[in-house]
This record gives sequence, structure tokens and C-alpha cells, in this order.
Amino acid sequence: MIPLLQTLLDGLVLGGVYAFAAVGFSLIFGVLGVVNLTHGVFVVLGAYAALLLHEVVGLDPILGLPLVMAALFALGYLYQRTLIAAAVERASLVASLLVTFGVALMARNLLQIVASPDVRSIATAYSFAGLSLGPLRIDLVRAAGLLTSLVLLFGLALLLNRTAFGRAIRATAQQPVGAALSGVNVRHVHGLTFGLGGAFAGASGAVIGMMLPFTPSSEAAWTLNAFVVVTLGGVGSPQGALLGGLLLGVIATLTAQYVGPAFQNAAMFLVLVLMLLLRPQGLLGHAFAASR
Amino acid sequence: MIRTTRRAVLATGLAAPFVARAQAQPRAVVLGGSVPMTGAAAETGLNVLHGYQAAVKRIDEMGGIQAGGQTYRFELRLVDDASDPSRAVTLIQRQVDERVPLFLGSFGSNIVLPTCAITERARRPMVQAGGGSDQIFTQGRRYVFGMFPRATRQFETVTEFFKSLDPRPRTFAVLYTNDPFSRFSAEGAKVSLTNAGFQVSDPVQLPATVTDVTTVLARIRETQPDVLVATTHDEHSLLITRQMISSNTNVKLAYFGLGPQTAAYRQAVGRYADSILTASYWASNAPFQCPYFGSAKGFEEYYNRNFQRPLAYHMASGAACILAFAEALKAAGSPDPAKLRDALAAMDFPCFYGRIKFTPQGDGDPILMGTLVAQVQNGKLEIVGPPAAATARPIWPAPPWNERG
Repeated sequence: MIPLLQTLLDGLVLGGVYAFAAVGFSLIFGVLGVVNLTHGVFVVLGAYAALLLHEVVGLDPILGLPLVMAALFALGYLYQRTLIAAAVERASLVASLLVTFGVALMARNLLQIVASPDVRSIATAYSFAGLSLGPLRIDLVRAAGLLTSLVLLFGLALLLNRTAFGRAIRATAQQPVGAALSGVNVRHVHGLTFGLGGAFAGASGAVIGMMLPFTPSSEAAWTLNAFVVVTLGGVGSPQGALLGGLLLGVIATLTAQYVGPAFQNAAMFLVLVLMLLLRPQGLLGHAFAASR
Repeated sequence: MIRTTRRAVLATGLAAPFVARAQAQPRAVVLGGSVPMTGAAAETGLNVLHGYQAAVKRIDEMGGIQAGGQTYRFELRLVDDASDPSRAVTLIQRQVDERVPLFLGSFGSNIVLPTCAITERARRPMVQAGGGSDQIFTQGRRYVFGMFPRATRQFETVTEFFKSLDPRPRTFAVLYTNDPFSRFSAEGAKVSLTNAGFQVSDPVQLPATVTDVTTVLARIRETQPDVLVATTHDEHSLLITRQMISSNTNVKLAYFGLGPQTAAYRQAVGRYADSILTASYWASNAPFQCPYFGSAKGFEEYYNRNFQRPLAYHMASGAACILAFAEALKAAGSPDPAKLRDALAAMDFPCFYGRIKFTPQGDGDPILMGTLVAQVQNGKLEIVGPPAAATARPIWPAPPWNERG
């Protein structure tokens, strides 16, 4: 019984971080319809920004989250209002796929020039500490990461559901023309939503940097991870990302424990294929599709 | 009939000083190949590249290589394969088509394996310090040479080290990731340890990209092996180490094939890195003499004087590839690929890297070019085996994580 509980706990912790790392992708996909292939770049940029703050100023990555999120929000906003908007308006949503793919390639190589391709990680004072919950163990850094993920995901849900800004985002996602007729600046809201997605991706990167080693080329794995989470949980909502992430984490650890660590990815992609066959809209569906 | 015109005579007269000067210049021999300058393997790829560059620079400074009455110099024509085997294959095929005569290797068996198949077909020698997978050396190739023993033989000296410990460890757990180098290394470790009479549990395979090893470590806490052997790559070794520390998973010794050699790993793990074992193929305090760099220490000093990137054994392995080509060129008397191949196959050359001698299959001699066992002691790598090359006594058993530093 104890190994099962430990496995489930490990899965939930891992899943919480997967969810956090995917929610920005989900929001951008749900509201703008853009499959952001630069999502992983924002995650890795967040990790490097947190590393910089930690090494230069000595700021703990979790305390530095507001700075990281502000910087990546600004970057996301500018990126959407210039490159993405131009690609979508001049061509189509498909063009944004090519643009984000190209930008991801360039950004990865640029990061390698600036930050070097060497493996980096953020070592805080509590990086090597663990917590005991009776017979169960959890790394302190993973527990801190999970807690941060849950708090920020909850905050995002409140922002989307309880504020005027959130209402504008939802209105834009459901009926862009109707929202524009009601006085919502749709282009501006698209930029802000992209910025918000970038900020959450960056924040997750700061948390991931404390838990896992990273390099500029880690970005591809986090984009793929976000895609899987969103396909499992559903598009456009923190709840969908959370469900998909937790499911993915638990599948990964249960498979590792009871089938073999080598089969983790196979099990995750098997579930992904089954989901696409049986419920292509994901477990919670598209948060805004019903109104479109 | 040859007609001599006034214009031809004039042209010859005007060109004569330049022709004489050109003859005095060393002839360039192109060394082609690809290296991961970007992508997942870029960290070690750049290390090997710096080694190539250091040796070529040194040979230039020494005035080139005298062979068959002619002076030669090497010209590197290395391209970025972005750690992508399919891209590397395209780039190497193009260089083969452009008649590049000699090749250096990329880093990673997954890249070296398909690219050496192309150079082998074209009968162009490749000397490489980045591919240890058995498949590179056991499929009948004659033109591929490696600076390390094949993966399944790399563990022999490590097993000898474990045999020399007092008291002898009894039980071993082996971890590896699903890639050719890691898999073959783990198989080699298991065979070598089992043959030596140690108890080895079935090697645990991790996915090629690892994000979490908590369940694997829980099993290790249950079974409590004396030694954990992880034939993993740098970032996976770092992840496993960090999770071992935070989950208080203690073993009497932990061995990581790749990772602890890099300053980044030791910096990330800090005082907990002490007592961790790793493989090394070169140490700057090894007693090797060399006509190019003077000694192993001489290579370290030369490298540090000319390059910024922190020195690791990969640089030494890369430089040794260039020296192997240089000595083969001297022995062959010309850069003809077939003659150079034969010279490489017959090579027995002492240099700062040790004695370079290849097996008939092309990998490094398992005794002369075998693994040195290194241990992190006070933040620095010390060689603890084999005894002839040891610079320090091993710390055995390692203290638990909470007592380190």
C-alpha cells in the first residue's frame, strides 16, 4: 500500500508542475487559436531568468517569480502584437504555426550563444531537502513547486472568472466580433492573453529550473509536454490544464513503478492516442467552443 | 606541339616569386566532419571541438607536419550538426561528395554511427572521440577509429577498481537511459561485474529523456545495493544525483559514467558531489610525455593559455584525434586515405593522452586507453584507479548525504 501511495504522491507532484507548464499554452490556444510552438522557449527563458536573478542578486526563484512573469508578459505581448498578429492577419492561423516554429528554432540557437549549451540548474538552500509525511517522502523543492503551481493556477482561474479583464478575455475567445462591437479592443486583449500565457510559461520555467537540469534545447520537450496536457485535459482553462497535467503525472509514475521506467513515454502517448480517438476535445472540452 | 609565346614567358616570369613562396607554404589537408555546436549534445560537442582546435593550432605553431618530403598543415572544416543525426548524415554526405579526404567524429553514438557508415563506404578514415557504442566497431568497418574502448569494454578498469576495495562491495544496481551508448555501457558493466563475482540486479532502463526518477530511487532504498552504477548522460546524472540527495537515497558508492567530469555538475551539486565516482579518459597529472605538448600537464597549460572554455577530458580526447592523424600522416608519407588508414591501424604512439593504439576493430585498446576511475574529493576530480595512475586514495564507503561537506 505504501509504495502505491508514494507513487500517487510523486505522480501528483509531477503532474502539478506539468499542468503549470502547460496552462499558458492552453490559454493561448483556447483564446487566440494559435498553436504556440515557442511555448517551450518561454518556459526555458523563465528558467534562465530565475537562474540569473538567483546568481546575480541571490533572489530565490519563487520570490523572483513576479519579476520573471513581468518580463515574459512584456515579451509575450510584444511578440503577439508584432509577429503573430501580422502572420494571422496577412495569412491565416496556420501561418502562425510556421512563424512560431521558426522563432523557436532561432530563439533556441540565440539562447545557446548567449547562455551556452551547458547543462544548468538552480540550487537553492532547500534544493536538497526532503519532507516526510509518515512513511511517505517528498522533495522540498518539488513540494514548493507544486504549491506555487496550485496557487498561481488558482489565481489564474480567479482572474479569468472574477475580473473585468478575465471577462474581456472570455468574451474575445467566445465571440471576437461581438466583443469588438461591445467596445473590447480585441487586438489588445489578444496581446494581453499571449503575454499572460508567456508569463505563466516563464513562471513554470523558474519552478522547473529548481527541479530539473535545463539547457536551451530543453524547450522542445516542454512544448510537446504542453500539447499532451492540453489534449488530455481540454483547451482554454486552468482546470483543464490541471486535470491533464495531474493525469499525465500519475500515468508516468504508475507506469514507471508497475510496468517499468522505460515505458513511461509509451504509456503517456498511448493515453494521448486513446483520448484523440474517444474524446478529441479532451476531458473538460474546449472552454469556449460551445459559444463559438 | 607546344608553342611558347611571349605572353606565356612574361606570365611565368612574373609568377615565379609567388610559385616559390607557395611551395614553401605547408600543404593544407582538410579534416571534415560535424560537431554538435548546438542542440542537446552541444556542451560536450563544444568540448571536443575545442580539443580539435587546440591541437591544430599547436601543430601550426610547430610549423606543420613533415611527411614524404612535404610540409602539411591541417585545415578544420567542421560544421554544426545541431545534435541531429539526420542533419549530420546530410552534411557528411555532402563533404564526402566534395572529396574531403579525412574525417573527425561528432559527439554521441547516435550521430557517429550513421555518419561513420557514410565515411566507411567512401573509404575515408574517421578518427573520433564521441562514439563508444559497440555497433560502431563490431560491424566490420575498417576506416573508423575511436579514442575510447567500445562501450562494453569501458567498464573493465572500473570493475578492477571495485575488486581492489577493502572491504569489497557485494551488490550493484545499474541504471541507464534508452540510447545506444548508455545501453551498451550498462550491458558492459553488468557483464564485467558479474564475471568478477559481484551480485548485479537487472539493469533498470529509463526513457531517453528523464524528468523524474522517484519510483526508481524508492526501489533502490528498498533493495539497498552497495553501489549504484548509472551509465547516464550529464543532465540525467545531475537529475538522479539531486533526487538521490533530496530523497535521502544512500548507497555506499555512486558511479555516474558522465556528468561529474563537468564543472557545471560539481557546481550544481556542491558539497554533495564529494565521493561520487565517474569515468575519465585523461588526467592532467598523468605521467604521459608528448612530442607536441610536452606532457599531460603541458596540454593543460597550453589549452588554458589559449582557450576560455573550462578544460574537461573531452578536449584531450579531441586533441588526441588530431595527433593520431598527424602521426599517421608522418608514417604514411602522404594524405592518401588508404595509406593513412593503414598507418592508423598500425599506430602505437605515446602522447599526452597516453599510448594511442587501436584494436583490430578500431576502438581504443581497453588496457592502454581504458577508463580511469575518478572520484570527486573536495570539489576536485582525483584519479583513484587503476593504481598506476592514481592521484589519491579512494573514499570508501562514501558518507551518507547528510554528512558530506
